[in-house]
Amino acid sequence: MTTNVTPAAPPVVPVPSRRHRRAARRRAAAPETRTLVSRHALGTTRGKIVYWLVLAFVLVTSTFVFVFPLYWMVTGAMRSPNELAQVPPDLLPRHFDLSGYKEAWRQLDLGLYLRNTAIYAGGAWLFTLGVDVTAAYALSKLRPVLGRAILGLMLATLMIPPMVIILPAYLTVKDLPLLHVSLLNTPWAIWLPAAANAFNIFLLKRFFDSIPTELLEAAEMDGASPLRVLWSVVLPVSRPILGVVSIFTVVNVWRDFVWPLLVQSDPQKRTVSTAISSLAVQVPENVLIASLVIASLPTIVVFFVFQRHIMAGLTAGGLKG
Amino acid sequence: MTTLRPAARPAGRRTGRPAGRRTGRTRFRRAAQRNLTAYGFLCGALICFAFFSWYPMVREVLLSFQKTNFVGAARWVGFDNFRTVLADPVFTDAWANTAMFTLLALLIGYVVPFCAAIVLNELRHARGYLRFVVYLPVMLPPAAAVLLFKWFYDPGPGLFNQVLKAVRLPTLAWLDSTDTSLLSLVIVSTWMNLGSGTLIYLAALQTIPGELYEAAELDGAGLLRRIRHITIPQTRLILLVMLLLQIIATMQVFIEPYLLTGGGPEDSTVTVAYLMYQYAFNFNNFGGGGALGLMLMLVLMVFSAIYLRVSREDAR
Amino acid sequence: MDRRARRGVRAPFQKGNHPMRSRLLATLLAAAVGVTAAGCGGDDSGAKDDKPLGAGTKVSITVGCMPAKSQPAQRKEWEEDVAAFQKLHPNITVVGKDAFPCMDPNTFQAKLAGGQVEDVYYVYFTDVRGIIANGQAADITPYLGAAKQYPNLDPNVEKVFKDGDKVYGLPRQNYAMGLFYNRALFKKAGLNPDAPPKTWAEVRDAAKKISALGGGTVGYADMSAKNQGGWHFTTEIFSQGGEMVSADGKKSAFNSPQGKAVLQTLKDMRWTDNSMGSKQLLVDADIQRMMAAGKLGMYLGAPDNATALVDQFKAKYDDFGMAPIPGSTGTLMGGDGWLFSPKASPEKIKAGLMWLDFYGITPGQGQLNYARAKANGRPVGLPQPKLFGPNAVGAKDRELRAASANLPVGNFKPYEDAYNTVPGKLEPPQAQQLYAVLDSVMSAVLTRQDADIDRLLADAQKKADAALARSGS
Repeated sequence: MTTNVTPAAPPVVPVPSRRHRRAARRRAAAPETRTLVSRHALGTTRGKIVYWLVLAFVLVTSTFVFVFPLYWMVTGAMRSPNELAQVPPDLLPRHFDLSGYKEAWRQLDLGLYLRNTAIYAGGAWLFTLGVDVTAAYALSKLRPVLGRAILGLMLATLMIPPMVIILPAYLTVKDLPLLHVSLLNTPWAIWLPAAANAFNIFLLKRFFDSIPTELLEAAEMDGASPLRVLWSVVLPVSRPILGVVSIFTVVNVWRDFVWPLLVQSDPQKRTVSTAISSLAVQVPENVLIASLVIASLPTIVVFFVFQRHIMAGLTAGGLKG
Repeated sequence: MTTLRPAARPAGRRTGRPAGRRTGRTRFRRAAQRNLTAYGFLCGALICFAFFSWYPMVREVLLSFQKTNFVGAARWVGFDNFRTVLADPVFTDAWANTAMFTLLALLIGYVVPFCAAIVLNELRHARGYLRFVVYLPVMLPPAAAVLLFKWFYDPGPGLFNQVLKAVRLPTLAWLDSTDTSLLSLVIVSTWMNLGSGTLIYLAALQTIPGELYEAAELDGAGLLRRIRHITIPQTRLILLVMLLLQIIATMQVFIEPYLLTGGGPEDSTVTVAYLMYQYAFNFNNFGGGGALGLMLMLVLMVFSAIYLRVSREDAR
Repeated sequence: MDRRARRGVRAPFQKGNHPMRSRLLATLLAAAVGVTAAGCGGDDSGAKDDKPLGAGTKVSITVGCMPAKSQPAQRKEWEEDVAAFQKLHPNITVVGKDAFPCMDPNTFQAKLAGGQVEDVYYVYFTDVRGIIANGQAADITPYLGAAKQYPNLDPNVEKVFKDGDKVYGLPRQNYAMGLFYNRALFKKAGLNPDAPPKTWAEVRDAAKKISALGGGTVGYADMSAKNQGGWHFTTEIFSQGGEMVSADGKKSAFNSPQGKAVLQTLKDMRWTDNSMGSKQLLVDADIQRMMAAGKLGMYLGAPDNATALVDQFKAKYDDFGMAPIPGSTGTLMGGDGWLFSPKASPEKIKAGLMWLDFYGITPGQGQLNYARAKANGRPVGLPQPKLFGPNAVGAKDRELRAASANLPVGNFKPYEDAYNTVPGKLEPPQAQQLYAVLDSVMSAVLTRQDADIDRLLADAQKKADAALARSGS
């Protein structure tokens, strides 16, 4: 499944007219708000028992389903191939042995692939912001002739999932029309297509639409150029949405698989995902598992750090991977 | 790109739309200038979209009517590519598998997150932890998650059969049986993606005004009836949107068969996207791959069109 | 919110939000790629060209399959070879492109279709025929004079790179598939490691004993995914004396008593004896991993598998041995080699042939420099490659190899002794498509106890015939 951000819920846009709705939401988020089950029902003895049982069940199940596999992965890399083949396995590895990780780092050259991926993600981020913010601003505030048509054409691309046009997209990158150059095995093959993201433009435009025109006009009166207005008026207000767009751009490039598989076929240019998928089969099992852990770490760390932004962005845009 | 602006006039400030009081000529110049600036701002996006979105769509159609080896010029072959893929016995399997995958993914991946969200919304403890944990798998690179599950599915020392053994259940062949291979793919896929659905539903649930439940309870509505008559109708739009999104996302399933089964056993996990890839990159037949891609595109466009309609309604 | 708007601009967005910057970059990109675009040009003259490459003609060639950094000894040897070659031919520059493995089947076609191949690019035998048919390799017949050792090659190996009278490439490694087995497990199971199974019945017997050791030990393993199942089916049907396609290559021929025998044997081992383990959909790396971990008794493979087992999966050479293919009626000839980019100029082709002649097919030099390999602590003595025919050059190569051998050569003796008596067969046309079809047959037999062999083969025949017919049009 190609990772892509697609619209789901209406973006949380700070428009005055929606103030009451946001207020309602804030109220809802507070624990004392009435939900499906009333506080009264929870207050009874039976309610309390049921509540604690459900809570325990949910905690145990979700830990088992979502955390245990990751535990198994992290410790699996510490087991020897023989220990991995053991039936039944022990819950704890016999030794706290990090050689699997070292071996994975060395044998699979993961440092190189992590760096590649970081370069792809970073460049994609710069391009996406540079291209999509200006475009969204132009469509939202400058409203040029044919602007609506252009927006429509851009949004129409949302109807075509990336996987479906992957062959022609690949052929395009292989031999760029008019210019007749090949972007294969260059970072451009990832950076430029990443910027052609209609959903980002859609999100940004909707956000910009909500910025009162008076604010911009005031700046224009002061003699600011459109660029200046974008830079010092629009962007500072738009930090939340820029954060969302940034995180998802970076994370999507990091998670993407099929596209880099095709356009970065040179073994030196692979992303960490495509590298482990083709190289990891050639190493002992504990090394393979260690490489999975190492490949997963960066995004997990990003999640730890930006957890709140990601969750907010999720409900703003709806991320479907 | 320095746009010189006429000096501001007090009159303009008062009316709010300064252009309104200008002479026609100034207005025209201003409009021209604004358009120029706007297209300057837009050109990066226009180039990117033209090359990497719009042109490939057109090229998809062309490709499916051509035969090419990329050394010489492409040849027009009419419907030959379509005939080729239609005559391929795997073609029907691929569509059936894709449909089945989508259906199973909906049964598990659609119902479970909604129920999970309803329960999570009621809990007053460990909220942060639960949200974090549910979303954790979404952050793994899909390739890593899929390879991880490949290891878990090992019928011998793999985690799943060990767990089944530990609780005295019969073990399964997982990927190695036509009965369970597709289901195994659905399980990984659901595990990876469950988190985002859950959190989106959770956010939607929190917008439901508590008074509605209050009123229903006064009318004597039980828990299930409150879910049926309040929770579901109140989140109807988001449910619909997510349904369509999930159909679109799961119908493109590729990485799971690519990394887990290679389409086996007995082609039971060949999906349309995987077959398309095989045609292009294993059989060196881009025309056939293009034809498959075009068919998938047309099918998905139906869902996308419904989705766009719904989400527009939703936005209102 | 409106009031807050005025406050500071945050740094992280500075670059990205700068429209000028991004457009400037785009322009630079366009300019930069425009310049590189001028570099490619094709030349397609069919005439004979026996003129040696002029010593004054400067040529630079890119060559695939330079050993990767993770193989330091091989890498060093390659670099020495390049230096020595360039000293001999100062006008030629050899630019190696490394990759590990040399060919990734997942991206190879993308690379090929993308025109990303090196001037001299690496291929498996399996793909050669399709590539030639697709016009994705240059015809090197007119320039063959540049490779002096070419006439000494085994005609059976030469044939792989030929289409009619035209020649398209040179081999690097070649092998005949045989029975690869785990001597350590043989001993454990009470079998004689020096008397490996000779027939499929004996294989079945040995597999039973080995899997009886328990603890997840598998007697015999076979592949059934990623087209490798079809590849092994092909080997096995050859071993039973069967054929994959008819003599003219237009119809499939595997729906035969021999094809049935292949599947019946596997089915019996898998389900009656339960000696093939429960995990299926295996590919070569899975099997090698099992072998190296001491959990697998036998599989069909080539001698160089030993190197993979030792280098990648940390096993010991002493534990493995090789026998000729069970039945010894026929086997699959596999290997790899180099083709030339269809865009390569005659000069590049000549230079490439000179390099391959130097590095690949001259005894005592390049990859056949066994003395140096031994000095570098690399394993020597595996009966692979077998590039030369029964001639003086071939004898010299074998002699040199034997003189530097540092492996338990005896373990591979049964295989080597039979090498010339087991007829080797080439892979079928449309190999990848037929393999894909047979993958599904193999996986059916190995994963479904009630698999109906006759029906599977009949269905597969239909699919294969359709694939072969398509290629004919």
